[in-house]
Amino acid sequence: MVFNSKEELMENQKAYEATKSLLYQLADDDFLIAYRGSEWLGLAPHIEEDVAFSSINQDTMGHAVMYFQLLEELGEGKADDLSHLRNPREFRNAVILEMKNGSGTYLEKPDYDWAFAVVRNLFYDYAKTIRLQSLKESSYKPLAYMAQRILSEEYYHLMHWELWFKQLMDSTPEARQRMEAAIERVWDDFDGVLTLGPKKEDMESCQLIGGEKELKDQWLKRVQSIFEDVNYTIDRTPGMKNGNGRKGEHTEDLDQALSILSEVYRMDPVTNW
Amino acid sequence: MLEMAQSLTEEEKYHRFMERIEAGERIEADDWMPDDYREALIRLISMHAVSEIMGALPEKEWVPKAPTLHRKLAIMAKVQDEMGHGQLLLRVAEDLMKPLGRNREDILKDLFSGKLKFHNVFHMKAPTWGDAGIIAWLVDGAAIITQSMSLNSSYGPYARALQRICAEEVFHAQHGESIILALTEGTEEQKKMIQTSLTEWWPALLMFFGPRSKENVGKSHVNKNIKYKIRTKTNEDLRQEFFNKYVPRIQSIGLKIPDETIHFNEEKGEWIYEQPDWDEFKKIVTGHGPMSKERLELRTTSYENTAWVRDALANRNVKEAY
Amino acid sequence: MNNDFYEEYEVFSKRNQMAPFQHQFSLLAPNKEMAMVMAKENFLRREPCVNIWVVKKSDISSLGEEERVILNRLDNKSYRETKGYGYLKKKWREYEQEQFTEKNLLK
Ligand SMILES: [Fe+2]
Ligand SMILES: [Fe+2]
Repeated sequence: MVFNSKEELMENQKAYEATKSLLYQLADDDFLIAYRGSEWLGLAPHIEEDVAFSSINQDTMGHAVMYFQLLEELGEGKADDLSHLRNPREFRNAVILEMKNGSGTYLEKPDYDWAFAVVRNLFYDYAKTIRLQSLKESSYKPLAYMAQRILSEEYYHLMHWELWFKQLMDSTPEARQRMEAAIERVWDDFDGVLTLGPKKEDMESCQLIGGEKELKDQWLKRVQSIFEDVNYTIDRTPGMKNGNGRKGEHTEDLDQALSILSEVYRMDPVTNW
Repeated sequence: MLEMAQSLTEEEKYHRFMERIEAGERIEADDWMPDDYREALIRLISMHAVSEIMGALPEKEWVPKAPTLHRKLAIMAKVQDEMGHGQLLLRVAEDLMKPLGRNREDILKDLFSGKLKFHNVFHMKAPTWGDAGIIAWLVDGAAIITQSMSLNSSYGPYARALQRICAEEVFHAQHGESIILALTEGTEEQKKMIQTSLTEWWPALLMFFGPRSKENVGKSHVNKNIKYKIRTKTNEDLRQEFFNKYVPRIQSIGLKIPDETIHFNEEKGEWIYEQPDWDEFKKIVTGHGPMSKERLELRTTSYENTAWVRDALANRNVKEAY
Repeated sequence: MNNDFYEEYEVFSKRNQMAPFQHQFSLLAPNKEMAMVMAKENFLRREPCVNIWVVKKSDISSLGEEERVILNRLDNKSYRETKGYGYLKKKWREYEQEQFTEKNLLK
């Protein structure tokens, strides 16, 4: 099965719907984690790190834009409308990616948790890299081509978060304890990233992406390997404690995120900004 | 020969230092320098550094709120640059402070305690997207004018940092122009938004360059800085340059400057304008501006909340050393 | 205690395969791995770059202000340079031959 263009894809209703569904997951995942990252701007533990982290967030939001543009091509509407005007229930990102960085807001009393940022980003970048490697073989060629391009920016992200993860896990007891708490928290919702949602079978049978099970195993293997490096074990499988975002289940944190993200755009979605 | 050089008296060293300054040579971090030169540089550069870092905060409010995907990315890159400018300048200041046994931690503590001041403009509110436009266009525009004056600073590391900074400022200015023009060419609402922002920011923009002479507001370090070729122009020179460059541009796009009296006096060859409230300026820069407390709190809280991270990696070093 | 977090590193980079390493700037980082990860985005987020060095500042030795007198040199060393052999051009012309210069070496 190969779809070289959107015209070819649109002839196959099942593949067309499954592709759109997959693209929303990809776009929304990147969009939300990049947004949460951008809230850290100016507040990171170290000024040099602030600059580095911001580049990662720009890259990631840039990837979301690419997916939104693919959706735009597929007739879903303007990329800016898709990112700013959809109802929170229409978002397909995993719940763990929408969650606040900590208590407070980016403007007031931000009690942000750097351990949570490190763990969430590292686990996500592992999942994202595995997903992209699979998408390189996608039957929808415009997506396969895009995956290859996006993958080229992932190496730095992985190097960056792996380094933070390893160093903090291997430092003071306080840091270790904070990191372990963050791992458990992210773990209990991370299945939300690894699941392909209700259209999973169609995505798989149309060869848009590899099998969910297989990708999940790859992720577990990768995570186990870094856990071994830092002498850590966890005895349960990742969960979806706060809901399945692929089905439109979300937390209040998403409402909060989207109202901030769209505050200005909503004033007038038609005008030129 | 080496011994001879070392046996110079303080006075001879000062004399040789001034000769180097006058010959347009660049002083480097490890060179001998008079205490008041070092002090003047530390004062100027650490204030510049923390202003960049504090300057990221009002704009940061608009990073996630920027209207479109493209604007979100652009303003993120712009604010990132400002943090980067802070980094460059902190490094320059830190090297100057090293012989005094002080480091970054001390600079940040002085900022938190209010001992180290930051630029008046970053104490102001930025309640609308229009403010994000005005900051990038005019605050950065004003900053470019002051910074490019010191591109030839006698202190080499500062001049080199400014070269990196100014290259990025060109992007900032264009990013600002792009926001402004979209608003002035947009709907009535958008035009109103940007006019309000300009009106609100105008006095702060005039204050940005500092008072005309020290009579206006206490002591001034301008003269010493000029003698040492750290800077080459006075506050008023810079403000006049700003008017030259921006008054015609502001007017050409249909915005109104909130000063009925502003005009260019051909005879005097300078702009005549209404003075901002310099008492207000003094209040703002001493930490009593509209947002001074909130912004400092934001920085202080985040610095304290991430102290465990710095402790962790610092102790990791100690561990590895044994 | 936090002071151990702030080690100074100098950052160098190479613009392309043929270019020499060039000093960019310096940064503070707790160790060299962190310094490397910071260096890329702090100083090389716009210009092309094919490799990076980070060097701990304390590992670099340089000349102090007074020691720089060792760099003094008289301008009596034309024998070391091609400008001391300028007259050869005319000579070779007499033999209807070209002089060997840098220009025809690179040709
Ligand atoms: Fe700046
Ligand atoms: Fe700027």
